[in-house]
Amino acid sequence: MAEERGDAEIVACIVAGGAEARAAEAELCRRFAPRIRLYGLRHLRDEDRARDLVQAVLLGVLEATRARRVMDPSRVDRFVLGTCRNVAGRMRETEGRAEGGDALEHLAAPQREHVDLGALMRCLGRLDERARVVVGLSFHEGHSADEVASRLGTTPGNVRVVRHRAVAALRSCLDRKAGEGAR
Amino acid sequence: MNRCSAPAPWEALVAYWAGDLPSGEEHALEEHVMGCEACSAESARVAAITETLRAMIPAVIDRALLERLRARGLRVRESPFAPGDRREAHFTRDLDVLVFRLGGLDLSRAETVEFAMRDERSGQILTASQNVAFDRDAGDVLLCCQRHYAGLPPDVVVEVKVRAAGGAEQVAQYTILHRFE
Repeated sequence: MAEERGDAEIVACIVAGGAEARAAEAELCRRFAPRIRLYGLRHLRDEDRARDLVQAVLLGVLEATRARRVMDPSRVDRFVLGTCRNVAGRMRETEGRAEGGDALEHLAAPQREHVDLGALMRCLGRLDERARVVVGLSFHEGHSADEVASRLGTTPGNVRVVRHRAVAALRSCLDRKAGEGAR
Repeated sequence: MNRCSAPAPWEALVAYWAGDLPSGEEHALEEHVMGCEACSAESARVAAITETLRAMIPAVIDRALLERLRARGLRVRESPFAPGDRREAHFTRDLDVLVFRLGGLDLSRAETVEFAMRDERSGQILTASQNVAFDRDAGDVLLCCQRHYAGLPPDVVVEVKVRAAGGAEQVAQYTILHRFE
């Protein structure tokens, strides 16, 4: 299998322009779009706005790269993250959609996992009661580990352990069900 | 996929998606994940679970959430069930959620209400909670059946246990035979 090009090499190709620049831009988008989406989902908590963020950030990063404003091409990831923080911050302030349009739609639409809700319900049913309660309070109701601990009369450390084990159990359960479905 | 020499721990990724990593750790994790294909893929595996859970409507809801669902444009039908009822409930194509009003409960002195839904045939618990929302004045608990429940066994027994001040307990069962169109 061919070794993937490093970020610095991709940036150099874009800066050089010419025939290979377009393919390098596509590769940069393919590489970072899923990571930008995750950042958006975490900070904007909305799939549509996360998709907007992907478009706006990639557009900004490509423009900066072409204009040689990425100072350290080997750390273009830091540049992408900084751009994410700026654009998401502006989006949170205005509660609006990001500028950037659909210019990169064909390059930047990241794949997302489709979770079978019925399967997830079944997997939740297999958790023990305490794990179900912690998952419910953490993710349905959005409480922090400290808040969940105080409601359940335990320590935040215990909540974190129960929580990450529960998410791991749900992940394994869903993977198993997906495997059964594929056979 | 390129391998990672210092993979982000699963528990840190779960804490990140739960929103309670300390700010310094959150920034460090984001810097690592943004530069690491393997860890970003692992973070996506965590997010698929946590963000789906966050977006799911709970099985038992309160009236305020029911009104918010209506305000969001969801098509809702309410259906009253009395303790001991065993009957069909048709989830028709024109519905997004079918809300069962599990009534006949004396909730005037209730401290907590427990809820469990199990497969009538196998007895397997499908979902349960020790402390669900309830309407003290109306004397009911709202079970919010959603279209993805079509993936569950159709005939379910719902058990509601009311714990009142002083230790008194009241248990009611409702058997719902879901028929999805």
